[in-house]
Amino acid sequence: MKTPYILNFLVLSMLAISACTDVIDVKTNQPTETQLSIDAWITDESKPQTIKLTLTQPYFDQGPTIPAKGGSVFVVSQDSIPYEFKDLKNDGTYVWQPATVGDKILTIGKQYLLYVKYEGEEYISISKVNRVPAVDSINYYKEELPFKPADNKRQVGYQADFYGRDFVGMNDCYWIRAYRNDTLFNKPSQISVAYDAGFSAGGAADGLLFILPLRASISPELYGAKDKVRVEVYSIPVEAFYFLQLVRQESSNGGIFATIPSNIPSNIQNRNTKSTKKPLGFFAVSAVSKLETVINPNKAIPKPPNR
Amino acid sequence: MLKQLLGLLVLLLGMQLVQAQDKLTISGYVKDAQNGEALIGATVFIPSLNEGVSTNDYGFYALTLPRGTYKLEFSYVSYQKFERTVTLDNVNQKLNIEMKEEALELETVEVSSVRKDENVRGIEMSVNKIEMRTIQKMPALLGEVDVIRSIQLLPGVTTVGEGATGFNVRGGNIDQNLVLLDEAPVFNSSHLFGFFSVFNPDAVKDVKLIKGGIPAEYGGRLSSILDVRMKEGNSKKLEVNGGVGTIFSRLSIEAPIVKDKGSIIVAARRSYIDVLAKPFLKGDLKNARFYFYDLTAKANYRIDDKNTVFLSSYFGRDVFGAQFGFDWGNTTASARWNHVFNDKMFLNTTVFFSNYDYRLQSDLLKPNPQDAFRWKSNIKNYSFKPDFTYYINTRNKLSFGGQMIYYSFQPGTADAISGGEKRTIGTPAKYALENALYIGNEQKVTPNLTLQYGIRYSLYQYLGPGKGYTFGPQTGERREPLTTTIYNSGEKIAQYGNWEPRFSANIGLGKTSSLKFSYNRMAQYLHLLSNTAAASPLDIWTPSSNNLKPQLSDQLALGYFQNLKDNTYEASVELYYKKLQNQIDYIPNADLLLNPLIEGDLLYGKGRAYGAEFYIKKNKGKLNGWLSYTLSRTERFVNGVNNDKWFPSRFDKTHVLNLVAIYDATKRLSFSMNFTFGTGTPATYPNGKFVWQGFALPNNSNNQRNGYRIPNYHRIDLAATLKQKKKIFGKGEGEWVFSVYNTYNRRNAYSVYVQQNATDPTKTEAVRFAVFGSIIPAVTYNFKF
Repeated sequence: MKTPYILNFLVLSMLAISACTDVIDVKTNQPTETQLSIDAWITDESKPQTIKLTLTQPYFDQGPTIPAKGGSVFVVSQDSIPYEFKDLKNDGTYVWQPATVGDKILTIGKQYLLYVKYEGEEYISISKVNRVPAVDSINYYKEELPFKPADNKRQVGYQADFYGRDFVGMNDCYWIRAYRNDTLFNKPSQISVAYDAGFSAGGAADGLLFILPLRASISPELYGAKDKVRVEVYSIPVEAFYFLQLVRQESSNGGIFATIPSNIPSNIQNRNTKSTKKPLGFFAVSAVSKLETVINPNKAIPKPPNR
Repeated sequence: MLKQLLGLLVLLLGMQLVQAQDKLTISGYVKDAQNGEALIGATVFIPSLNEGVSTNDYGFYALTLPRGTYKLEFSYVSYQKFERTVTLDNVNQKLNIEMKEEALELETVEVSSVRKDENVRGIEMSVNKIEMRTIQKMPALLGEVDVIRSIQLLPGVTTVGEGATGFNVRGGNIDQNLVLLDEAPVFNSSHLFGFFSVFNPDAVKDVKLIKGGIPAEYGGRLSSILDVRMKEGNSKKLEVNGGVGTIFSRLSIEAPIVKDKGSIIVAARRSYIDVLAKPFLKGDLKNARFYFYDLTAKANYRIDDKNTVFLSSYFGRDVFGAQFGFDWGNTTASARWNHVFNDKMFLNTTVFFSNYDYRLQSDLLKPNPQDAFRWKSNIKNYSFKPDFTYYINTRNKLSFGGQMIYYSFQPGTADAISGGEKRTIGTPAKYALENALYIGNEQKVTPNLTLQYGIRYSLYQYLGPGKGYTFGPQTGERREPLTTTIYNSGEKIAQYGNWEPRFSANIGLGKTSSLKFSYNRMAQYLHLLSNTAAASPLDIWTPSSNNLKPQLSDQLALGYFQNLKDNTYEASVELYYKKLQNQIDYIPNADLLLNPLIEGDLLYGKGRAYGAEFYIKKNKGKLNGWLSYTLSRTERFVNGVNNDKWFPSRFDKTHVLNLVAIYDATKRLSFSMNFTFGTGTPATYPNGKFVWQGFALPNNSNNQRNGYRIPNYHRIDLAATLKQKKKIFGKGEGEWVFSVYNTYNRRNAYSVYVQQNATDPTKTEAVRFAVFGSIIPAVTYNFKF
């Protein structure tokens, strides 16, 4: 359970009348050199898998992202099977294509090595595919929010919850991803990660049904009738849980209870530990379970008590 | 060590019994004639000897003198001077005095206040007192008179930002202030996340902030002592005070239990916005709870001339939530017994209980057996504290005593219920014992040299049942335990002892100026773990352990004090240097809540703070107030942070200027103003960004901490107080207070942070967050009868 979320919510609602934010100009020093950023999240699905290489740019530089082209990218299984990712469009997006239907890279329980060579430097990282529980069901009920939400979101609609159960045994982590009509809710604040069935380490909710706030997290906003709801649960390594938590926190770390800003550490190393070229980004492998449904007002359940 | 110190105490006690009776003692209490309140720090002066003493925190004084006839002058700021001639021939004399308040004579510049040169003559340095009447006249946020906000305008005191809980003294963290309410510590001094302090102004008598030269009787925190004394209650007649403000409505009742022997005060406050808002709320919010309240009560009874007892209690709570609820609060209770031994030894024994707890619950209104989250945390402590003052003679005042505190910490346990199944998680309870013995003497060596010296020995034990972990070297990242040892109930997990020397000197430089010097070492065994900009009510107080070492500080201060124009102005310049050891920092993404392995997420370092404080205060006349300027720096050094280099702490402000002015225009009308300016606090900004999963994420390639500053802070507040002409109910008084906070509507930044644009995630921007983005006017009505 992270303090800032709860408290900022409460304080903001108290101070809604007076507190304010506005965009201002800030002068910062420019970084002396660019760093390679690696975005490598591979799943056990039989579909094209991509790894993106980009270069860092000054924080307030509003220009387009700079692709890192001309690298070589491999994922290698613990059985030494290499899977090559190719920059087909020469835009820094390196892709692996399944050769046949059902062809995939990952197997649950195995470890995989990421190998990236870029401008003479070699970058590596290892990640393991963890078990993932099934998404058992999705249900929804009609909801009316007490206030009109910002950005033209629905005030009246359907609150969807998903059901699934964490495995018995501690330290299973998951990334819960929700899509509305095939569009991922992809704001940093919408990142929903679970440690076992709860929010944090320490056996909080081992082996339980995912706790209510996680079940409800697939509705960052209300759905409409006929909307398609898709839920994906990714199994993720523990370090990926902390990484995603930090991504969410550092994406907008303001307010009275802001934490000390910190860098988001990468799990990818330069093979030459003495090199000054340190990469950013993250490598993780996930098994995926999913379920989808279309909101049918006739099938909505009554609003549960206590909600 | 402890035994030796105890032995010394016994020896001293014995000494006074065998002392020849060639000298006699005049002793007694000094009180307010109108309401019977004890006057703290009133001066008893003998002009013929040019010597005197001040009354202690209970209004008691004692003077041991050779036989003879003496004229005694009793004086107290803004009270009429009182004189009495006493003959000491063969017995000790009792002399209880009641002093009358000086009517404010506006036409004359002179407002009585004797021993006006206390600023220069007294041993105390780095001490600020603000009279409650001043605090009540200063402009206040939303018209709510506030002790903590007022002391933030004193030199050497800063805050992370407005609305932040607590205060920072001379570069120390907020947990380094010992906030005492009638001798019992208050662990969270705020309502509403820090906007208002827990002290009901109607129940407070005296506020004193000690920033340096801390006497041996105080210990347990590094940076300051905020000593808040509650009123005793009117022992002459029934008195009712109250008011309706923007946030609180207040009511206090004072009454004698037995006239002139005992009295009681009960004061209550409650916020009432929820009552007003109720008709406008609908749906789920209909049952929302959002209020805070506090109840302060105190009773005292004078059994006889030698024995007085006091009972004080505070209970306050903040409650927020609809379905998901959060509530927290402090409870303190203290019982004190004042006893006078053979007229010149004064004993105060305090027994107190203090508790701070909070609760977070997802099913606040109606229990949900299927899905719920219920979380509780508390810190409780019990203490016994005898303090002796021995008035040896007019030149020596000896203080000695001790304290024993037993702590029980419940850092947090939570029940997570999902689908009807329950898991209990959290951090196991922790226990600790803190003992201290001290002895100190205040000695007038010559008319121009006064010394105060003392020593305190504190002994701390971290006790089982519990687990002791060991960790590898500090790297700046999360550390997993290397070994775990299980301890049984009462077993020592860790023990620390510290000698804490204290020393102050006052060297008189003529009639109107003096030079003062002080050194003190302080030890602190409790730590508030907080990695957010402002501390939150969820933050956990944690005891020192085998990993978490006690914090230590050494402070040197040098000051020049001068009074001007017949004591109309008090001025001082103080320089200080403070060294801090075992300061706490945090790894990125530290998990401080419900984490049994929390010590693995902590980093340890050191700190230093230094500065110069310039202060001038005007005490007399229609216009009074103060101007202060502080030039200071406070820095930390933590391995694994900021490339292992010193960095400014989150509340470092290079320049701070405060001006408080109160103008009594007529007997009915007064105006007041605050102006405050402070350098922007340090901030960390990224220099680069990288894109990952479509998010533009900040990155600071040089790992710098606090390398930038947010814009400067400045603000003016104004207030006007108008007393009603007409008496209410024939005898009572009423007054209206009009105030404006942030008069020129500056959007003072609380913080500046970066984020990606909400609508266009490829764009990145810096955002200024202002707690108050507008002018805040308020009206308050106060009454008294």
